[in-house]
Amino acid sequence: MPRPAPPGAARMHASFASQDIEPHPLRFTGSGAEFLRVWIVNVLLTIVTLGFYTPWARRRTAQYFFGHTLVAGSPLEFTAQQRRMVVGFLVVVLLTLAYKLAASTGQDVAVGLFILAGAALAPLIWSSAMRFRLGNTRWRGLRLQFTADWREVYRASWPVFALALVWLAVFFGLQALAPAPLEGAGAGRKLPQVGAPMVALVLLGLVLTVLCLIRIDFNYRSLLVLRASLGTEPGRWKPVYMDFVRLWLATVGVFLVSILVLSLLLAGLVGGSFAMVKALGQGQSGMGMVLFLIAAFVALLLVLFLATAPARAYREAALFRLTWNNIGVSRIARFKCDLRVGRYVLLRLRNMLLTLVTLGLFRPFAVVSEYRMKLESVTLHIKGGVDQVAGTLARQQTGGIGDALADAAGLELIV
Amino acid sequence: MPAPGATPAPAALVPARWFDGRSSQARAVLVGLHPAPGGPSLSVHPVAAPGGEALHLPWREVGWPEAWSARRPQQRVVVDLHAHGSLEIDAVAAWHSALAAAGDRPRLAQRMQTRWGIFLAMLLAGVLGLALFYRYGTPWLATQLARWVPLGWETALADQGLAQMDDGMLKPSQLPRARQEALRARFQGLTQAMATVPALQRYPGYAPQWSLQFRRGMGANAFALPGGTVVLTDEIVQVAARQGLGDEALAGVLAHEIGHVAYRHTTRMLVQQGVLQMGLELALGDVSGLLASGSALLTAMSYSRAHEREADCFALGLMRRAALPTAPMGDLLLAMAQDARSGGKDRQPGKATEPGQDEAHPVWSLLSSHPDTAGRARALRAGQAPGCS
Repeated sequence: MPRPAPPGAARMHASFASQDIEPHPLRFTGSGAEFLRVWIVNVLLTIVTLGFYTPWARRRTAQYFFGHTLVAGSPLEFTAQQRRMVVGFLVVVLLTLAYKLAASTGQDVAVGLFILAGAALAPLIWSSAMRFRLGNTRWRGLRLQFTADWREVYRASWPVFALALVWLAVFFGLQALAPAPLEGAGAGRKLPQVGAPMVALVLLGLVLTVLCLIRIDFNYRSLLVLRASLGTEPGRWKPVYMDFVRLWLATVGVFLVSILVLSLLLAGLVGGSFAMVKALGQGQSGMGMVLFLIAAFVALLLVLFLATAPARAYREAALFRLTWNNIGVSRIARFKCDLRVGRYVLLRLRNMLLTLVTLGLFRPFAVVSEYRMKLESVTLHIKGGVDQVAGTLARQQTGGIGDALADAAGLELIV
Repeated sequence: MPAPGATPAPAALVPARWFDGRSSQARAVLVGLHPAPGGPSLSVHPVAAPGGEALHLPWREVGWPEAWSARRPQQRVVVDLHAHGSLEIDAVAAWHSALAAAGDRPRLAQRMQTRWGIFLAMLLAGVLGLALFYRYGTPWLATQLARWVPLGWETALADQGLAQMDDGMLKPSQLPRARQEALRARFQGLTQAMATVPALQRYPGYAPQWSLQFRRGMGANAFALPGGTVVLTDEIVQVAARQGLGDEALAGVLAHEIGHVAYRHTTRMLVQQGVLQMGLELALGDVSGLLASGSALLTAMSYSRAHEREADCFALGLMRRAALPTAPMGDLLLAMAQDARSGGKDRQPGKATEPGQDEAHPVWSLLSSHPDTAGRARALRAGQAPGCS
């Protein structure tokens, strides 16, 4: 029996129905306490097995989050084969062992080769990890796919080479600009004279470096969406490079503001502690002074940590909102995101402090609350219903090694 | 509702939606679970064609979802049918009871996840097992792995280490040449005595390049470098002379250091550190880095205490073989400890301190890599230590 609805709501519903667009808010049905148990079981089994439970633990964690993420009422599925994840993990363990052995026995050539190979293969490893993750994500029986081939990935990595060129140019430019009569300048001058053009050149190099780094980030993110597909439907990507530059500038702004706030706070604290040092100095010097220095050092570390935390959280949230407001699946679906960035930053700061205070035991709650806030800010708008997507016969994806390498490099599976 | 007494169904049927992987369209199906030897098998019956062909899958070909909580069933579960797509089930409670009825045995992780009793039992077993492994497993593993480390690597490490120390706090010795040669002769006598006793050789066939060196500048001390180099400081020779102790005391110290070399303690420690660091990083890295490095440090300390004990036992054995007393070495240890505590300023010659005076301070014993000095001195005076085989 249809419920009586206010006239405005009825008209709105009618207008949606005529275009046939339905909004589906994404939902997360898991809970922090439940994930604590998932996590603690993982930790225990990992410790007992001396670390070899890691691939199983990763799969359980992914399955917990995917299985509790409802997209238009249907949970996501993480379908990675356990065997592949284990093989990938073992390969990474062996590589790490070999690297550590080479580094600790001072075989510089081998270490250099390791680092060079890692740098040259990084784009390939990234794309392999993305193929693994998307290919093992299933929704309503359909696999996501990442279809970029290695040529596209290396082409998207051009800013790395631009970066190398920029610094070569800066190096040779500095040599050209360096004042020639250095030998005749006499013993009075200790440093070569640094002129305004040299400073400007280095500054230009730094600006270009930042622009290149932003470009890499942009290229990879856009490639990930544009070459992703659900069944036969490709992804859609609207953000432009300038959006990313603006976001980076805003992040710097947040960083400067948090530094300012912190230094104001510190000024008060330092004023107080000077008085304390004086008091201590009048009493007995030795022990009190040492204790005070230790406390000051710890405080300094904490301050550095706090100063960058808001900027990092801000960047993450703003990027999330920018991305999820501007991507879609061909013509049938698009996403809207109303994540409130300030609230996310506060949540992150609270979580960091609680994690620190509890020696890491709060981490599962932190992960769940951040994941929930981000996920539930997204609404999926589908045109023409959820039943219309045709699948392609995609094989089970391979490439557990790339994923394990990406994990070792700190790319989280749950984003 | 079927009347009581009707023929029982082969298995309880659970309603589900089947996505076959070819489109996002769902098909209404009924899922049956059947007891089977390896684990329950699964059948999918489309509702639209009741008499039609059903899909049958054995236990191994299904990705069974884990139950995360005993009290709060998931809102919707998805069963992975691999190439056949996936099943979405709303009746989660019915699904779990059908699974249990078909004789499903949940995995260990799920049992730990849903039942505190099993989790606590595992926790206890894990703590116990780990304690045993760290206490006995890793030392044993390192002892075995050390067999594969070549002597050349050890000597290279030793040369590098000694060169670094020479650049730093160590200065050339000022001992008279004749005194040095006398001590070298003692050293050589000990290494030759050791070669005749198979029981003292932990690594048969291990032939270090023995050499005794003298340095000055780090207080009364002696240390062994891997590969056969032993270093005595001028100060330890002076302390022995000041206490009126004969060369037997210094010979005891040399025997102790020879023990470190023969048992390849440095190499074993490095191997152990590597293995442990890696294991702890993997195991505890997810909890906190501080915890991981803290436990690595603590275990390293406990190992090096075990190594000191081993070297003492070796010294006792070797000295007995060479028909030398070990009591002077015990006195020397106490004198060294006192010398270190008074900052080396205690220049008054005197008798060796009574061991009772230097009972262990609990904190010091925990933090120092050497076992409490008084205990060691007592064992050396008695000529036998507890725990020596």
